[in-house]
Amino acid sequence: MKKVININFQGSVVPIEETSYELLQKYIESLRLYFAEEEGRDEIINDIESRISELFQERLKAGSTCISDEDVNVIFKNIGRPEDFEEDEVSEKKTKEKEESSEDYSFPKYPGKTKRLYRDENHKILGGVCSGIAAYIGIDPVIVRILFVISGIGFFAYILLWIFVPGSNRLENGVRKRLYRNPDEKIIGGVCSGMGSYFNVNPWIPRAFFLIPFISFFFRWGHIGSLTFPNFLSFSFSPGTLIIYIILWLVIPEATTTSEKLEMKGEKIDLNSIKKSVVDEMKGVQERVSKMGQQMGTMAKEKGEDFGKEVHFAARRSSGAIGNVIVTIFKIFAYFVFGCIALALIIALFSIAVVAIGLFPLKEFVLTDGWQSILAWGSLIFFIGLPVVGIITFIIRRLARIKSHNRAFRYSFIALWVLGLICFVALLFSVGRDFRRVSLVNEEYVQLSDPSVNTLEVNSLEYNKYARTDTWFRLEPFASFDEDTAYIANVRFRVEQSPTDSFRVGLIRVANGSTRRNADTLASLVKYTIYQNDSSLMADKAIAINTHDKFRNQGVVVIIYVPVGKHIKINKNLSRSRALRLNGPWNEDNLYDWEDEDFDYQYGVEYVMREKGLFTLDGVPADEERNNQDWNSSGNNNRNDASHDGNYRYEGASKQDSLMRVKDIEIEKMQKSVDSLKALKRQEIEKTRDSLRQAKEKLEERIQKLNDSSSQAFIKTVVPGYSFIMHI
Amino acid sequence: MNIDNTASQMRKGVLEFCILSIIKLGEAYPSDIIDKMKSANLHILEGTLYPLLTRLKNAEFLTYRWVESSSGPPRKYFSLTPKGANFYHELESTWLELANAVEAITGKTENQ
Repeated sequence: MKKVININFQGSVVPIEETSYELLQKYIESLRLYFAEEEGRDEIINDIESRISELFQERLKAGSTCISDEDVNVIFKNIGRPEDFEEDEVSEKKTKEKEESSEDYSFPKYPGKTKRLYRDENHKILGGVCSGIAAYIGIDPVIVRILFVISGIGFFAYILLWIFVPGSNRLENGVRKRLYRNPDEKIIGGVCSGMGSYFNVNPWIPRAFFLIPFISFFFRWGHIGSLTFPNFLSFSFSPGTLIIYIILWLVIPEATTTSEKLEMKGEKIDLNSIKKSVVDEMKGVQERVSKMGQQMGTMAKEKGEDFGKEVHFAARRSSGAIGNVIVTIFKIFAYFVFGCIALALIIALFSIAVVAIGLFPLKEFVLTDGWQSILAWGSLIFFIGLPVVGIITFIIRRLARIKSHNRAFRYSFIALWVLGLICFVALLFSVGRDFRRVSLVNEEYVQLSDPSVNTLEVNSLEYNKYARTDTWFRLEPFASFDEDTAYIANVRFRVEQSPTDSFRVGLIRVANGSTRRNADTLASLVKYTIYQNDSSLMADKAIAINTHDKFRNQGVVVIIYVPVGKHIKINKNLSRSRALRLNGPWNEDNLYDWEDEDFDYQYGVEYVMREKGLFTLDGVPADEERNNQDWNSSGNNNRNDASHDGNYRYEGASKQDSLMRVKDIEIEKMQKSVDSLKALKRQEIEKTRDSLRQAKEKLEERIQKLNDSSSQAFIKTVVPGYSFIMHI
Repeated sequence: MNIDNTASQMRKGVLEFCILSIIKLGEAYPSDIIDKMKSANLHILEGTLYPLLTRLKNAEFLTYRWVESSSGPPRKYFSLTPKGANFYHELESTWLELANAVEAITGKTENQ
């Protein structure tokens, strides 16, 4: 006794036994899998279905009440099962590449028999190198492709292999095992259990790979460890696994149908194995399979081959072999250009991401809690993280030949990114406001134990923390930081001429803030140690800031007043690299723009102070020497100004005052130069008089001599000349 | 060397040529093609024929027209396009050359 159901098959109603219906469904599914890589797949299946339907009708007309198992088996035998096609059809898969098939007959039928490496022309994306390798070693081509993309030399290796490895359109990848996500044993996305069944291990083993670094990441992020953030290891092994998991989740297809589940477990797909497996999940199989079929199409084919085809046809007409070479060269060139652009984009995005992640631990020192923190997270995740994940996903999906037309997904992706962009702009704005104002400047004097030394050597006080500078990532002025203290190297040294005959050291603390009062408070909170120890001046190289007071570009300017004739040396351990300065639009107040100061000394060189300024021991003015050595320093020719008007820049409370002082000084300078010119003139006149007097004396002497030796007449001729000289 | 393999490959080489020559005679329904080939003792599965026809059609060598059928869904009747006719003639000349060559070679060896 068998249950008979009515199905609507290709437009006609067919009474069919339930078991036969199941056989029919499995048969068609196996056909779909077999023709999955065919171009006219749906059409072929449709044609076969209508043929089956016709045969059904014939059976029914002949007097059968319903279609039985026997009937379907006869029909299947006539049409043929995929297993039969495999024997029947070996080289017909691609008629369009017929010109190659003549030489293909010498190739082995299956790669297993005499193993040779071929490029797989049937399952190719670019040149079939990866799927050829996959068929050769017997793994999922997706894995080979991902490895090629990840490894840096992959690109060149690929091109070489493309050129040297012969192509074959007869390769069948013997492995039917593919990587899927396993929805049956999933905890989050089924990624790990899918990997488990691919590698035939307990799903908890891949899970452990993802979890252990992640747990340790939480520990480290918390309060264990004197680890310096950020270091690259903590990026790649902790939140990194989360990113990897999400990417795999997006990239690996979920095994929803029975055949996919079988593929996942690596059983050979044919009618029998499908029959063996669970049947009750057959609902909606058709949709799912056709969807999978759509996904199998490749963008590379569509875009690359449109271009390639034109050339291909033209070239084939002229001559086959040379044509192929031309096509290959064209393709390689096109892919090379595309690849370069894509690579540049990815590298740019990645570096932004790395910088952002590197910067992120500094968040505590810059951002206030609440809104700014939320905005920071928002822009990190949506503005930077999302495109990185998106691009990686895009590439891998292309490699795995998965194509989805999920518009909602794309739009929500874009919407989230725009949200991230808004967060980012808002964050910049908000942070910018916190840096808007600059503190007032007042100079304090540091007590020196012995201000009358001959030489002052400025040395850096070493911090324990600060000794650690080997992080891979540095951002000036942040020198180093840990959980609650950051050291910023915003310390500058200026050298001035001392008005007295002893050394003097001044200290100016500065900071930015949202209001001037706020900035003043922050500036007064700056702790800075500086003291004299015999002939050396010990000074902090960096200022410590904590998460409570935040980083508001706090800084210290140390002004060392050197008396004339004494020596000064600022040691190299105080030098700051000129790489990158945190200098933003908030420094609008040019009056206090102490960031722009340029120094006219070099670190580690001893100088002597003279009346006209700093000189090296060789007698070269410091600024000239610097100019010779540092082509970058452009603004230091105003050294003289600095020594004169250095003070006014900090004393002036209002712009007007200072402007007036500038005028005064300028007038004074002009006066001075006029004075010196006058003096010069006077000197010259004096000199001329001297020389004239000497000449006169000489002449008188000669006249005397002549008088003694020769006649009176001669003397008379000389006299007018003499008077002439006197009148000049 | 597997005799079946070699034989089936030989057969396959001329499969398209045979199909095209059947269609050339007039519009053909796939199962008619099968029958004709069967009567000539050239066996082919429908599951092999359909993909082949689709490929030839996609290459614009064939075209088809829907014909209402009393038994079941409408049928696709295939016919040759001008491009397909050219293709057929090329194949034909190749085949004749090949047949002559094979004839000449095998005939000679048999004579010896």
